[in-house]
Amino acid sequence: MPRNVSIEIFRYDPQKDDSPSWRTYTIPYEEKNTVLGALIYIQENIDPSFAFRYGCRYKRCGLCALEVDGKPRMACHTYLQEGMRIGPLSKLPVIRDLAVDRKSIFHDLKKYSLYIEKKEENVEIIVEPEQGARLRSCAECLSCLSTCSRYNFGNGNFGGPFLFVKLAQLQFDPRNSKNRFEQAHALGIMHCRDCKNKCFCPNGINIYGDAICSLLENNVD
Amino acid sequence: MQVEKCDILCLGGGGAGITAAITAAEQGADVILVSKEPLGYGDTRISMGLMSCPGVVEGDDWQHFYKDLIKGGENLNDPELVHIMAEWAPYGLKLLESYGHLFERNKDGKFSKEVVFLLGGHSLPRTIGCPPGGGISMGNSLRAGAARAGIRVFEEVIACNLLFDDKRVTGAVCFDLCRGEVILFQSGAVVIATGGAGWLYYPHTDCNAGVTGDGYALAYEAGAELIDMEQVQFMPFALTYPASMCGVYVGEPSLAAPAGILRNSKGKIILEGLGTMTRAQVTNAMAVELSNGGGTEYGGLLLDLSPNLSSPEGRRMWKVRKERGQLESVRFAYGEDAYRWEKPWDVAPAAHYFMGGIKVNTSGQSSVPGLYAAGQVLGGIHGANRLGSVSLAELFVFGYLAGEAAARECKGQEFSFSKGNEEAVANITGLRGRKGSFKPIKLHRRLQKTMWENVGIVREERGLRAALREIEEIEEASKDLQITPQLSYNKDKLHTIELKHMLTVARLITESALIRQETRGAHLRLDFREKDEENWRRNIIILKNKNKMQFRTEVVKTDA
Ligand SMILES: Cc1cc2nc3c(=O)[nH]c(=O)nc-3n(C[C@H](O)[C@H](O)[C@H](O)COP(=O)(O)OP(=O)(O)OC[C@H]3O[C@@H](n4cnc5c(N)ncnc54)[C@H](O)[C@@H]3O)c2cc1C
Ligand code: SF4
Ligand code: SF4
Ligand code: FES
Repeated sequence: MPRNVSIEIFRYDPQKDDSPSWRTYTIPYEEKNTVLGALIYIQENIDPSFAFRYGCRYKRCGLCALEVDGKPRMACHTYLQEGMRIGPLSKLPVIRDLAVDRKSIFHDLKKYSLYIEKKEENVEIIVEPEQGARLRSCAECLSCLSTCSRYNFGNGNFGGPFLFVKLAQLQFDPRNSKNRFEQAHALGIMHCRDCKNKCFCPNGINIYGDAICSLLENNVD
Repeated sequence: MQVEKCDILCLGGGGAGITAAITAAEQGADVILVSKEPLGYGDTRISMGLMSCPGVVEGDDWQHFYKDLIKGGENLNDPELVHIMAEWAPYGLKLLESYGHLFERNKDGKFSKEVVFLLGGHSLPRTIGCPPGGGISMGNSLRAGAARAGIRVFEEVIACNLLFDDKRVTGAVCFDLCRGEVILFQSGAVVIATGGAGWLYYPHTDCNAGVTGDGYALAYEAGAELIDMEQVQFMPFALTYPASMCGVYVGEPSLAAPAGILRNSKGKIILEGLGTMTRAQVTNAMAVELSNGGGTEYGGLLLDLSPNLSSPEGRRMWKVRKERGQLESVRFAYGEDAYRWEKPWDVAPAAHYFMGGIKVNTSGQSSVPGLYAAGQVLGGIHGANRLGSVSLAELFVFGYLAGEAAARECKGQEFSFSKGNEEAVANITGLRGRKGSFKPIKLHRRLQKTMWENVGIVREERGLRAALREIEEIEEASKDLQITPQLSYNKDKLHTIELKHMLTVARLITESALIRQETRGAHLRLDFREKDEENWRRNIIILKNKNKMQFRTEVVKTDA
């Protein structure tokens, strides 16, 4: 008899449903199947109205971020297991099912000037500190927000791990001309000093060490 | 219905689209950028981030680069475009850095011979890398650059049809995926930068899920000329399992350098000296072996990198790959031994890049007034094969040129907006729930299957004709769709819009592949195994005329 795998998935259409529901789906077992493989299977074969995002299928783009049993994961690089509970990133507004509202990123880039303010086309010589180079590979997947209990969407008083990563990356960039420490402080980074539950990045960014500590300690040249 | 007006409408949120938008905005034009995915997503973001920059090592200059591009492209390239590409590439690199990105430099902060490396088909080392994460920093920087330039951005909005009057393109009808509503954009000019169409070959593609060839179809429907659509590059080395990761990129030929070899399922050596070969050379040898039954149970061949472990240079290469994070997919899919190069990798070619595309002049202008193209969606630069790391360079060069030319043409001009093709609008507003027989995603899969089997790495007349019949049947089926009614983020509706574009592109590729009766570059005809310099140093040009696909061939231009 062919083996099956059953998982629970968060379903919610804010335009229609009073509240979200968890539904069980049973799909054929496949060796080394991923969570993303299961989502694609469900949309294709069980419920075509099921909403979720993905892009690269190899843990690069950051678009398939979701929560498995309450922890943020990249769906394309997580093996599927019996009984998993798969939900959206819990700190962000749901558009439908697993698709959350990601438009706040672009909004924040503008609001906090998260770019090198002065355009220069002829930077011949430039040395970027290693931490800065590491922070550049932040996939902007927003997973880390799920791991910070202080962060709340829309609360301008506390920036949260994603914004701190962005601010630190810019502060490390030798071309930066804006005071990113000040910005981080205005966004409540001092609360991180005695935070017990340190935020986590499924893509290997050392959020606390490389970003938050440097912004707290003002030790960036 | 929501209506938005601007001087210039850019379609596509990858490297080319954002560069065109920023450039036009900096020239004072009022710009809107519309992107099917969030801004900064697409192939640019998921790329390795390797970019060509001639002139770093001694003895290299744009002329050498130019020669390599023509040779690699097997003489099918448009020499004027190649000239611009070769000469402007270093500027492209600086432009991208000006948005926030930084490429790898030596410890003194300079580009030097220590940081450039050699990719297959380049005669000298001229490829520059970036920090781990490759294209991620590019995508992020582009998004930051767009924020700085104050461009109006519409994310997750899909271009469905172009608007045009009898003289020029005047905007686009788009569908807002998150809200499920139509938006009409009216503009003085449109820049198409929607990337390639690798997704036509899913799962046998390493491309991003959104690259369904929309731009080729939009341009074709608007009457623009397209060139050499049969030239589809397959990346030789992609994963073959697990199924959900089939097609994922693991490397181009230079990955195997210096000593890696390729074997068939019985252990027989198929290729050695992979490191300096072009993608087309390796893929074609693999294609022939696979069609002769030499493949594994997963449909791949075995890439054995273990010979590298016995030389210092080989071991160094492993470390470089590891540090760049290029071995992570293999580690996840095939395990630790494969990751350490101790166990061979099961690999097969995957659709990677379209050399063909919208035919443009050196300002990125198409044959239709008011319509520009930039990035992978334009055709002619790479001829029959693209060399590694040249695409990213092309995005910034041609994105810049198209943005600048469009701004020059349209800034502050008054355009009389035609009421616009009612038909185009009606087609989209009709995108409500439907109770027909065929699910859009199932038709994607049928189309992708026939493209891979019949219009993939090897082609012959019989298969191409079978593909055309299947395309026709899917077109018929697509008139009877079953679409769920949900308004917000409805994948059925996304797939419906994409399906229409994909069917057009599938036909463009297949018809062109039938016409080119020779083997050249990425186009391998089993029934015409030789390159035919005498008759086929010609470009195949397609356009829509009186509702019909019309073809002609033109002798390849020579450089002035
Ligand atoms: C795995 C991989 C690795 C690669 N590595 C390299 C490398 O190291 N060096 C190199 O030179 N090249 C590389 N390439 C190739 C290169 O990345 C691409 O050719 C290039 O990024 C294409 O850029 P683009 O701007 O034309 O399109 P993309 O970056 O693909 O962007 C297209 C944009 O258009 C949007 N879009 C699509 N359809 C519509 C529509 N209908 N309406 C609105 N928007 C739409 C998409 O959402 C997307 O934002 C790689 C490619 C892949 C797949
Ligand atoms: S820090 Fe990590 S988790 Fe947070 S957005 Fe960046 S990549 Fe995602
Ligand atoms: S350190 Fe603590 S409070 Fe600060 S961002 Fe991380 S989890 Fe949130
Ligand atoms: S699909 Fe891109 S990170 Fe998972």
